[in-house]
Amino acid sequence: MALNVKPTRSELIDMKKKIKLSERGYNILKMKRDGLILEFFKVLEDAKKSRGALVEGYDRATKMIAVANTVEGSIRVKGAAMAVKENPQITLKEKNIMGVVVPDIEASSVRKTVTQRGYGVLGSSPVIDDTADAFEELVEAIIEAAEIETTMKRLLDEIESTKRRVNALEFKVIPELKQARDFIKMRLDEMERDELVRLKKIRAKSQAK
Amino acid sequence: MAAVNTTGPAPYIYACTRMRVRKAALLPREEYMRMLNMELPEITRFIEETRYKAEIDELASSFSGVDLMENALSWNLAKDYQKVLELVPGHLKHFTKAYLLKWDIRNVLTLLRAKIQGASVGKIKEIQIPAGSLNRTVLDRLDSEDSTDRILDGLKGHMLYGVFEREMSAAVESGSFARMENELYKAYYSILLKEAKSGVKGGAAFLKYVRLDIDTKNLETVFRVKGESDGEKIRELMIEGGTFTLDELVRFAGSDSLDEMIETIRKKLNTEAFDSAFEAVKEAKSSQGVEIGLIKAKLTEMDRISKLYPMSVAPVIAYLELKSYEVSNLRALARGKESNLPSESIEACMVV
Repeated sequence: MALNVKPTRSELIDMKKKIKLSERGYNILKMKRDGLILEFFKVLEDAKKSRGALVEGYDRATKMIAVANTVEGSIRVKGAAMAVKENPQITLKEKNIMGVVVPDIEASSVRKTVTQRGYGVLGSSPVIDDTADAFEELVEAIIEAAEIETTMKRLLDEIESTKRRVNALEFKVIPELKQARDFIKMRLDEMERDELVRLKKIRAKSQAK
Repeated sequence: MAAVNTTGPAPYIYACTRMRVRKAALLPREEYMRMLNMELPEITRFIEETRYKAEIDELASSFSGVDLMENALSWNLAKDYQKVLELVPGHLKHFTKAYLLKWDIRNVLTLLRAKIQGASVGKIKEIQIPAGSLNRTVLDRLDSEDSTDRILDGLKGHMLYGVFEREMSAAVESGSFARMENELYKAYYSILLKEAKSGVKGGAAFLKYVRLDIDTKNLETVFRVKGESDGEKIRELMIEGGTFTLDELVRFAGSDSLDEMIETIRKKLNTEAFDSAFEAVKEAKSSQGVEIGLIKAKLTEMDRISKLYPMSVAPVIAYLELKSYEVSNLRALARGKESNLPSESIEACMVV
């Protein structure tokens, strides 16, 4: 392989510095990757739990809306749903996990009391309360799952890019630098030997004269 | 004021006996349990073999499946109530008419909500049950109106027109009929109390029923809003005229000790009928479980009152209530089967 490097001593020093820096970077990135993987497994556990809660919440909410439609009829259920005035507010913040920016979602007005929901209490059946409870729980589970799963996705992306960098350093950058260093070393040694031979020949010629 | 009855006790005895016979003909628990194991077409067929045959046959060409069941049940209920109204004499008719006003509230609110949601006139007609003073003709006219102002005009002369007029514009503007609904029910109960206390003979039995209904509703509300701290809002949801004062009810709702609260209520009600409902509250069962417990308690108490006052409005109302629960049970069965709900969930929605 033809290497586009100048076989000079300064270049060799420069190359050695680059190798040292790359190896240090490689070690740090490897540690970061391992750290991120550890963090990912922690988040994965939470994600499993939140996904389980989400599926459970969805099943319960679906069942409750079916029960509410069974007891109250769809028009009354829709009427109760439309009575809600205050929608949940979502605040998006950011937090940092090992240099990865992940969302920190805060929600308000998800859970409401019967009087805050706004539907007529005297004309409605308590099954509406149970249904509203189930859907509020579901919204909470969705918000929690959104936060955890986005965190997990970002961590995965970061692990992937760190892994690519580690691999690039391990299998491309550092070997190429080492190859270049060896090439320079070899060229310098060769040049040194050339010089020595040339000097010997000059000396022999001058002695012959 | 109702007309004075001049025909002696015979029509009362006749009407109350007829009510008892009708009550005995309602579907027993075993039939519901059998239906829980049936598919929707089988249930329809089963219903067709009972007192709902005429309606099922009449509507079978226009509807099928759950729609057929629902419409047939609604028609039957409305027809049955109108027949009862024709049947009961003098004061009984007067009280029964007042009692049936709640169907007007339900029908008008359904109409208004459906209009806001853009439902078709046909759909609105399907879900209304003309069992109150607004008969099918009046409801059809109201259903076909496009604006809420015209609906309000159509309600002129109704006993609850004042409340409709007062609350309509705010409700339409906000798109929520919650406040209007609460106010209508409060006005409804105040009308019932006024009628019961008007000095008409037989008012005592009616008053007992109205108080029982108010107590049940208030207890249901207390258990629904339990733990909330906004006393003013809770007070707005309570109905005056029952066994408990508004202050007591607000205190119950805000009470930290459930056992203490239930003990106080139990002592004041002085009946064991509500015990199963209280147990459901203590066991933190779903609100629906508590509601069913309260309804069962109310029906038990109503049965007791109807035996205590056998020739009064009590047996009439006891029958009307049981009939409405029979219809809602059958509707729950049909809708539940359509939604593929498990039998236990459907059973939990029924008052059997």
